[in-house]
Parts: sequence; structure tokens; C-alpha cells
Amino acid sequence: MHTIELINALPAVFAGREPVPSQVWQCPLKLQRGKRYLIVAESGTGKSSMCSYIYGYRRDYSGTIAFDGTDIATLGVPQWCQVRQTAIAYLPQEMRLFGELTALENVQLKNRLTAHKTDDEILDLFARLGIADKVLTPVARLSIGQQQRVAIIRTLCQRTDFFLLDEPVSHLDQANNSIVAGLFAAEAHRQGAAIVVTSVGNHLNLDYDEQLKM
Amino acid sequence: MSHDFLLWKLLRTNISPVQLIGFGLANLVGLTIVILAIQFYRDVQPVFSDDESFIRKDYLVVTRSVTGAGAMMGGSSEFADSAIADIEAQPWCRKVGRFASSEFAIYATVGLGESGRAMHSQFFFETIPTDFIDVADADWTFDPSRPELPVIVARDYLSLYNFGFAATQGLPRISEGQVGMIPLQFTFSGNGLTETMPGRIVGFSSRLNTVIVPEEFMRWANERYGSGNQRQPMRLIVEVNSPGDVKIDQYMADHHYEVAGDKAQSSKASYFLTVITSIVIVVGVVISLLAFFVLMLSIFLLLQKNTQRLRDLLLLGYSPAQVSRPYVLLVLAVGAAVLVLAVGGLVLARRAYLPMIEAFQLPQASLWAAIGVGTAIMALITAGNIIAIRRKVAALWLQ
Repeated sequence: MHTIELINALPAVFAGREPVPSQVWQCPLKLQRGKRYLIVAESGTGKSSMCSYIYGYRRDYSGTIAFDGTDIATLGVPQWCQVRQTAIAYLPQEMRLFGELTALENVQLKNRLTAHKTDDEILDLFARLGIADKVLTPVARLSIGQQQRVAIIRTLCQRTDFFLLDEPVSHLDQANNSIVAGLFAAEAHRQGAAIVVTSVGNHLNLDYDEQLKM
Repeated sequence: MSHDFLLWKLLRTNISPVQLIGFGLANLVGLTIVILAIQFYRDVQPVFSDDESFIRKDYLVVTRSVTGAGAMMGGSSEFADSAIADIEAQPWCRKVGRFASSEFAIYATVGLGESGRAMHSQFFFETIPTDFIDVADADWTFDPSRPELPVIVARDYLSLYNFGFAATQGLPRISEGQVGMIPLQFTFSGNGLTETMPGRIVGFSSRLNTVIVPEEFMRWANERYGSGNQRQPMRLIVEVNSPGDVKIDQYMADHHYEVAGDKAQSSKASYFLTVITSIVIVVGVVISLLAFFVLMLSIFLLLQKNTQRLRDLLLLGYSPAQVSRPYVLLVLAVGAAVLVLAVGGLVLARRAYLPMIEAFQLPQASLWAAIGVGTAIMALITAGNIIAIRRKVAALWLQ
């Protein structure tokens, strides 16, 4: 997948409101493979909604969203599964980990599906993010910052054209922020993928090609 | 550790063993009732059906009542031509056949091989018109140039031999299938002739309490050995439209006729067997259906409780089919277990009742019809649940 386009898109709940100046809603927006985007948003401006539209699990918007020129409203379930396994790597703000599984099992649940990384590579990621000792701990018993790092590792475990990261470092300190930025930059470089990051304040420490205001 | 195992570890949460066992038991009871009823029907039905393919259905054997007084006064038990004509004129009557008797002496020898043990007896023959008999033409004819005499005997005679004679004399018991191999010889005498001819039993009847030979033979033999005086028949065979008709009973009672054979009784019993079996099967199917809904509700509840897990898995890129798989496998496993247990129950129950009906010497019905129906019901229930699971999971796609 090379482009994600938003053409006059607007969340249904915003319909009828006074138009607010935005570089995302009600205007043409084209995200391209290989580039880095930072979408800066205030709370309540529809940042997570945008992610859920692009990731295909909500459809309460007007306008058009297209992958490589194809309206995503026409995609069927099998195509979406394909997109989620090979084209868009999504890190939801609420992380959506499974509390009763261990940190490693949470990552493996994705990696067994995509067969993207070896067990050693996964353990190396745990080590680099400073949670090697938490590998076998159920996620429910991890701190929120540790959970965010597990979710980040899981997001890295797939082939992709776009990393779609919804507030990826909201619970991390600057040191970990930089480590995470380095991991995503390296993985994106290896795959030629784009990185699309949303943020309400704590930006992921990357050099961005484009900064958009939501 | 495959992702199937991880999925199972995740999705087994909230599975209620109590609900599963409840479904399993309910379905087991329902399914066992259904297949047991089918099997019992198949095992017992031959008692009532008397499938005597060589005698047409819907006929009655009619005799005149022999009362003490009538016999003493030399009252005839023969049917006059006018009486026969009257029966023929009744609306329920299709056709009347006369029993004709042999008018010469017959001596039968049943030899049992080279051992020299044989049974001798005076004998008699009767005949009825060939139209009433359905043995394939080749078997039910007589050709004086190639004499071999086919006979149909009362089933009681075989029982008499097996249970009375063979048991006390140390002779082997004979099944109906083996009867055709018994060497049988008839000796006829009359008109100064004494001749011997081989015979062969081609069938048994539980309704014709006599020995029947082909009409051709009777005509030929009566001419050859008999005295020549034709007697009126003492028994009639009557083909009727419906053997259960009350008008027939009324007519027979009015004219002091007796209807031999238990065709009417047997067909009523057979009818009730069918009705009772149908009721039992319906009860079993209803229980199975209720069990099906119990399982479906239980699974819906499970899916409801696990909604968030299922949605999160779909977000990871799992397809609805992959996410449904653990539940589909669960339903299949429970279904297979129920089916196996029900068939086991069937075999045990059958072992308990078979000795009770053994005395009827019925052919063994196979288990496959019951097992087939049980499998079909289980397959339908399982398929219904799998479709329900798939739909429910597919409905979680949009969040």
C-alpha cells in the first residue's frame, strides 16, 4: 500500500458544527509510504476516531477514505484482515492487551499470525525496552508504562507499509521515548514504511517530514 | 506453542462447565431416546409385520363355527355355493378363493441325512388359488414330468419340531433359512397306486394353519389317486379391501363364520407400535431441540462475556473464522462426545431388551439406521451452533 487519503472526511459527531480549521478533517490529506507524519491534536478533536476509521473498525464518518485510490468502504473482511496483518501496524491508545496473558504471550499472539520476528528478536526488544524481566509476567500485573512498551513490541511484529501510532509514548519517560523512536525508525527504514504518530503533547522523538494540526 | 493454543487460553475464559454439562446431558437424553426408539422399532417390528411375501396382504381365512351341537347332529362345516356367492357379493370383498383338500393318503418322511434318523407322519395337503400366492412362478408350480413338490407350511409346525421334537429327541434345531435343505419325501397312495416324490419347503406362514401345495399338483394328484367326488370347501380365503373394517366383523358374526389368523389384530398392534414409536421419537427430538437452544444460549452468553477479547483479536488481524475456531471445536467435541455416549447407551439398552424378544426368533436388525439418524441429528445441531457462532462473531467486526 502506498497512500492513505482522507477526502473531506469528518466524524459523524462533528457534522453540523462550526467548521474548525483542521489539516485533517474536511480537506484533502494524503499520507505516503516512507514518510513520517506527526498529527498534533487537542483532546476531543477526533484523533482516535481517525485511527479507527483508517483501521476499519468504525465507519461513522462522512467523506471518503481511500487506500491507493480504493474507497475503504468497499473492502471486505478478508481484505481488512490482510491490511491488518501486512499493511497497517496499529498501536491503539488504549493498547488493547490481554491482561490474563503474559507479556510474551501478548506479543506472540500477533507474531504467530504474521511470523515476522524470531523469538530471539522479540526477547531482544524486551531487553532494549528494559522489561526483559517481565516477559513471563501477566500483563495485568504490569505498570501502565510497562504495558505500553509491551504494546509497542507487539506493533513492531508485523510486515507493514504504515505504522499508525496513537499516542505511543504517553506513559513513557524521555529515555524510553527515544528508545521507542529509534526502534520504529529502524523498522520503518527496513520496510520502507511510513510512520503516522498522533500526540496531544508528549511527541515521539522523531524527525518528521510533515506536522499536521488536527 | 501455536497461536491456536494462545487463542484457546484466552477464549476459554468464562466457559461454564456446568452449562456445558447441562447441555451434554439434555442432548444425551434426547438423542438416546430418539435412536433407541428407532432401534427398538426396527428390532420389534417384524413380530407384527409377518412379512410373508408369498401370500398377498389384506386377506382373511374364513371357516364356519363348529359348535358342539352342530357337530353332534352332523351339521356340515362346508360352505355351500350360495354362501360363497353371498360373500362375493359383499362390498368389502374383492375375491374369494376356495381351499381344496387332498382326497388320497399321504405319508411324509423327513430324513436328516445319512444318519438314518427320520421322521414319518401321515400328512394332508390343501391348496388355494395361485392368485393368492406370490411365490415367484418358477418356484410355485408343479410339473408331473419333473416331479418335485413345493409346499408352504404353517410356521407353528417348525416351532413344534424345534421346541417339541428336536429338543427332546436330541435332533438339531433348524432355522427357517435352513429348511430348504431338508430332504423331504412324500408317498401318495390311492387308486391302487403307491408313488414317492421329493418335496421342498419354500416358505412358512403364520396365518395359514395348514400345508399348501400348488393348484396344478392338487388337480393332477386328485385325478390320479383320488376317488373323484368333489367336496365343498371347508375354508375360504377372502381378499378384502381393508381387514380392519367393522362391517366384515359384523357379517362374520351374523353368519357364524370365524376368521382365522390374526391379521386384523396384528395390524392394529403394528399400528400402535408405529404410533407409540413416533410419539417417543418426537419427545426425543423435542428434548434434543431444547438442548440445542440451551447450548446456543450458553455460547451466546460466552461470546457476550468475551466480546472485548474477541474484538481485540480481530484488531490484531485475526479473521472471524480463526477467532470462532476454539468455540467451533468445543461444540464439535461436545457433540461427538454426546453422540458416542448415546450410541453406547443404545448398545447397552439393546443388550437389556434383546433377550426378551429373542423367543420370537426375529432376524437381527442392524444398528446403522439408528446410528445414522443419531449422527444426522447431532450433525444438524452442531451445524446450527457453528453457524450461530460464526454469525455472532462476524457481528463483532464493527466496534
